[in-house]
Amino acid sequence: MKKESSILVIDDEPQILRALKTILTAKRFQVSTASTGEEGLAIAAGTQPDVIILDLGLPDISGIEVCAHLREWSQVPIIVLSVRDEEKDKVRALDEGADDYLVKPFGIEELLARIRVALRHSAQVKGTSEPVVHAGDLEIDLARRVVRRKGEEVKLTATEFNLLAYLASNAGRVLTHRNLLEKVWGIEYIENVEYLRVFMSQLRKKLEQDPRQPRHLLSDPGVGYRFSSDD
Amino acid sequence: MISTIQRIKSPENPKRLLSLLPILGRHLLVVGMMVATTGILFVFRSSMNTSTVALLYLLPVLLCTMLWGLSAGLAAGLLAFLTFNYFFIQPYYTFKVNHTQDITALVIFFLVAVLISQLVGRAKRNLTEAKAREQELSSLYGISSSLAGVNDQVEIANLIATQVRDIFQAQGVEIEVWPVMDEQSLSVLVPQERGSLAGDPAYVIPLETSRGVCGEIRLWRQIPSASATEKRMLEAIAAQGALALERAALTRAETRAEVLEESDRMKSVLLSSVSHELRTPLSIIKASATSLLSAEVEWDTEARLDLLNALDEEADHLNQLVGNLLDMSRIEAGALEPNRQWNLLSEIVSVALERMKRALERYRVEVDISEELPFIPVDFMQMERVFINLISNSTKYAPRGTTICIKAWVHDRESLLVQLTNQSPPVPEEHLDSIFEKFHRVTDADRVSGTGLGLSICKGIIEAHGGRIWAENLAGGFAFNLQIPLTWNGRPASIVEAENG
Repeated sequence: MKKESSILVIDDEPQILRALKTILTAKRFQVSTASTGEEGLAIAAGTQPDVIILDLGLPDISGIEVCAHLREWSQVPIIVLSVRDEEKDKVRALDEGADDYLVKPFGIEELLARIRVALRHSAQVKGTSEPVVHAGDLEIDLARRVVRRKGEEVKLTATEFNLLAYLASNAGRVLTHRNLLEKVWGIEYIENVEYLRVFMSQLRKKLEQDPRQPRHLLSDPGVGYRFSSDD
Repeated sequence: MISTIQRIKSPENPKRLLSLLPILGRHLLVVGMMVATTGILFVFRSSMNTSTVALLYLLPVLLCTMLWGLSAGLAAGLLAFLTFNYFFIQPYYTFKVNHTQDITALVIFFLVAVLISQLVGRAKRNLTEAKAREQELSSLYGISSSLAGVNDQVEIANLIATQVRDIFQAQGVEIEVWPVMDEQSLSVLVPQERGSLAGDPAYVIPLETSRGVCGEIRLWRQIPSASATEKRMLEAIAAQGALALERAALTRAETRAEVLEESDRMKSVLLSSVSHELRTPLSIIKASATSLLSAEVEWDTEARLDLLNALDEEADHLNQLVGNLLDMSRIEAGALEPNRQWNLLSEIVSVALERMKRALERYRVEVDISEELPFIPVDFMQMERVFINLISNSTKYAPRGTTICIKAWVHDRESLLVQLTNQSPPVPEEHLDSIFEKFHRVTDADRVSGTGLGLSICKGIIEAHGGRIWAENLAGGFAFNLQIPLTWNGRPASIVEAENG
């Protein structure tokens, strides 16, 4: 049996800390908690957790700052927790290096799914990533730049493939508009969200069973896009 | 009351001379007329006696006074007196007079000429003054009637500035109004560019109200001095302007008080409505949780699952209520700033439909939104909320098993139209507008759940985007219509060409 993963939860609400500690411990994680940003940074430096769950509304320093400080020395996956009136902060935290987000209130299954994706992704960063991504009836061969749907090859343009490949190699993680535009089109295009809209819609037409109800190429309103490999 | 600041000007002699010219011309005309009269009378000298000539001489004197004023009249009288004496009283061609009778005639003639010209001159001056006064009064009347009913400070200031400029032929007029109560100070300039208005203004007139000076009128013009009439006019206009500004401030204060009162009332309605709405999900959550905690009952798996689902659903319901309240308070505070991006309507609607999947299970959903529609400059999440609220409203009123249909088309270069139709019963025509007001519900509150905020939030969001929302009854259904702008800062979306291949 593999070693238990460790999770650091940084949130100023004692009830949330209590609930998450109980639930995550029951799910066989090692859980440590912090109720301020400074305390969280100290614990993160001391214990080197595998995943950090970070609330954006902290009493001392903002969650965005915590993100930025962590990223100075660590690639630990960060999942931010936000509430509805912090929509802009959420996107900023993601652009500052957070890996994913959840809006309070959230279901615990959702949180566990995000933690699994984060752990898988950090393992991939350390090791080598899979050359072929499978998602339902899709097969994306990243090395040979070939996409098959139900075994048949689908013709994609160069940009369409680059976009799909970037999303698929980060399967399960939300990628912000800026991030996608910068990686696929280049830094000078980070404001041109309309490019993304058009190419995502093209990809959905070519790859989704029902482009109106996509299963793999998901919109994350106000934030970006997410590739889901679940069927 | 009027404090005028004279602009320092270098003396302009050529102008002075120019203004003397008409006076000189007038007197030349007087001389001309007297020469002509003398000429004509001289021809008939033998056939007329001196008293007839004297009477006839009075005619041009009268005429000159009427045409060119008192001084011209007096000059004409003097000339008439001299020529009459020189040409018509014996001995001719001298100023000597032989008969005392003639002396009397001459003196009387002179007196009559002077008197007539004075009388006529005064009448004429009175007439001119009366006309000027009338002009002045009608200008003032014009200003006061155009100010009546205007309650906007800027508009009032603009009106006064324009009127002052027109009446005084000014190059420019600036009006500055200082805050009297808690409004902001403002400054209005006519014409809008300061360009030609170099230096200090020719006049500065304070705007005085019962609460003290509330601003001033500054006037630039070429003619440096103002006549007494003009000063009086300026004073009157300033007084009227100040009055209008004060009245506007009072009206606004009154409106503000009314708005506050109304908003206070709305807040109490909101609180009571919200507490009522929160209690329902809370009761279910409390009941389910205590049931599961209870040691007295053994729940079978299915019952446990029911209770847990109820907990989950009601928590979502509470979350939605809180979200609506948050939206409403942002809209109320005017803090709902759309985070605009170029978006595809088809994508927004499909995310909203996915979100509402559970509620829509009992309906047929038809979507007719082309992906080829142009981009719309909207906040994705806010627009998603609009569709979620409209769908949620439809599922509350439309019977199960009926169809909910969403379609969109380009209306004109500026806007896109979206229509959501359902088969709910018609809403009385008089309620069609008010359903978008807070807490408005056509049906009994007990029959349909919700805070009555959903549609007013839709309206708030759509209006923050510069769009329009309205409802209409259709044959066999009901429709929500949205008009969404296609331009952002006056520009339409660029067209993104997909690559070939």
